Amino acid sequence: MSYLDLIHLDKAFDGVTAVRDFNLQVEQGEFVSLLGPSGCGKTTTLRMVAGFETPNKGSIFLAGTDITSVPPNHRGMGMVFQSYALFPNMTAWNNVAFGLRVARLSTSAINKRVTELLDMVGLSDAGHKYSTELSGGQQQRVALARALAIEPKVLLLDEPLSALDAVVRVSLRHEIRRIQTTLGITTIYVTHDQEEALSISDRVVVMRRAVIEQIGTPEEIYVQPVTHFVATFVGTINQFPGILVDASRGLVANNNRNWTISAQPVPDGELKEGDAVNVLIRPDEIRVSHTETVVNEENRLTAVIKAITLLGAVTRLNLDFDGQPVIADIKTVDRGRFILDEPVQLSFTREACHVMPDIEPVSRGI
Amino acid sequence: MAAMKKKYSFLTGIVIGSFLFYMLLPIVATYVFSIATRWDRTILPEGLTLEWYKVAFADDWFFIVFKNSLVLSISTVLVSVIIIVPTAYWVHLRNPKARPLFDLISIIPFAIPGVVLALGLIRLYAHPPLMIGRTPAMLVAAYVIFTMPFMYRPVINSLEAVNIRVLTEAAQSLGSSWLRTITQVILPNILPGMLNGGLLVFAIIFGEFTIATFLVGARFKTFPMQLVYFTRRDGRIASAYTVISFTIAWVSSLIILWVVTWGAKRTSMRNTQHTKGLFAGDVVEQK
Repeated sequence: MSYLDLIHLDKAFDGVTAVRDFNLQVEQGEFVSLLGPSGCGKTTTLRMVAGFETPNKGSIFLAGTDITSVPPNHRGMGMVFQSYALFPNMTAWNNVAFGLRVARLSTSAINKRVTELLDMVGLSDAGHKYSTELSGGQQQRVALARALAIEPKVLLLDEPLSALDAVVRVSLRHEIRRIQTTLGITTIYVTHDQEEALSISDRVVVMRRAVIEQIGTPEEIYVQPVTHFVATFVGTINQFPGILVDASRGLVANNNRNWTISAQPVPDGELKEGDAVNVLIRPDEIRVSHTETVVNEENRLTAVIKAITLLGAVTRLNLDFDGQPVIADIKTVDRGRFILDEPVQLSFTREACHVMPDIEPVSRGI
Repeated sequence: MAAMKKKYSFLTGIVIGSFLFYMLLPIVATYVFSIATRWDRTILPEGLTLEWYKVAFADDWFFIVFKNSLVLSISTVLVSVIIIVPTAYWVHLRNPKARPLFDLISIIPFAIPGVVLALGLIRLYAHPPLMIGRTPAMLVAAYVIFTMPFMYRPVINSLEAVNIRVLTEAAQSLGSSWLRTITQVILPNILPGMLNGGLLVFAIIFGEFTIATFLVGARFKTFPMQLVYFTRRDGRIASAYTVISFTIAWVSSLIILWVVTWGAKRTSMRNTQHTKGLFAGDVVEQK
């Protein structure tokens, strides 16, 4: 049994299923993110762990004890909310001290702990300020300190950075990870931002329409997506619709567009030859070169550059492959080698190509 | 540009001035009338006197009706707080689907004239086996219904303004019991709404005449009843009563505002001193 076990959790609101057969084992000190689009059930799952929602079915075990029916104020879970939820009638100091006063700690112990925590979140000078006098980022730091003050058995964060601007979001997410690692605190983090989930988690649980699509390390989720949804929701991906010609060799063809792609072999039973499929390839897995260049990759296509967009260290090329849009990311230092409307060679290995059943793509895909 | 600005501020002055004149004239006139020897034959009062206040205070009934109205007003505010605040909290947090129903119920008193409410209550409660009609307690009960919108609305608005659901959950996740959550998190954050509502209810009940007359009449004379009595006898004494009534309403408002502001300042100062002291200690420790 793991430290935190969520076993066959089901939850419905007015007959509408919010979470179905959710199973997850979290080890002590692990940082697990629940990732998915709005309404996928990630927040409901977190609220069941916190005790704010009672599952219709299933159990929650914490350190071997069934806590499914334990009220939220006896669970010892620290919670950080999207809207900060600082008590407006209290200063930052008193917000952090609240849980310690509830636990009836001595004044000196409270003072020591609050000082430590405000210092840890970089707000040692803001203890006397009320929430209205703090910026969004500062409020969320106080909220984090407040949740950590009670030394929670599990730290729960419900989209804590969604309301913040991009720069603060990035710096605060690394700070959350730093503090989590320092304290070794078991953490469940809910987000709809795949970059956020991938950058700070030990494991990511991708959810869609009330069910888990995949559980894995950030690398597994990104490199080895097991469903079409995971592949398209996490990161940007190219989709080449075709027909599965040979499952064991991973051969997919599109006779209309006159191409054949060698992809990863398709496991037995999942798809059969003749099925409509999509070949999915990440933009960073595509090598772009001039047409006369000799390349080693198994797959080669010729496409025309339609747009060149600088994204920072990476430059994105939008290409046209016989009417099919393709995205490829190159190093910005190489961008000078390519010009608009120039035909170029796209090459990629078969390992980079994932064959998935042809289903309706989600909005995050191409 | 400057001319336009001048014209604009001139118009603003006219609008605000007219509003203040319209609102304050009756009050100023009442104050002047209460200290006028006579003011029915000339444009300005014929002379000034405090005689009418002396008559009012010398009246045997003055302190009785004053006390009665005070007891009624305070009791109504307390009962309103005890009944309406938990109800509004429960509706807002636990049963949002019932919200439209409660919103509707809360505006019904606006639609029912005081006379109708009083007669209805008498018919319902003044017959055996329930012989509780026509008592001050019944009057307080009627007042709670009558003033419900004035307490319910500000409280529900306060609950909405501070996102009470998330605050409740935040307190719970920190181990707080229901009682602590309500007393230390919820009530302090909806206090402005409760005070607003309480102030309105207090002012309305202190000046309420119709329901009190119909429901208890001379059995439990209130301040407005005595005011009406003097209106029939001498308008100048009635004016003195009105001024006293105004003054009580204003003084009670100021006291409440002062208490709230003082409370907030005291909390803020205590926290600041506490924090400063602690950080000073930290520095010493580091050395």
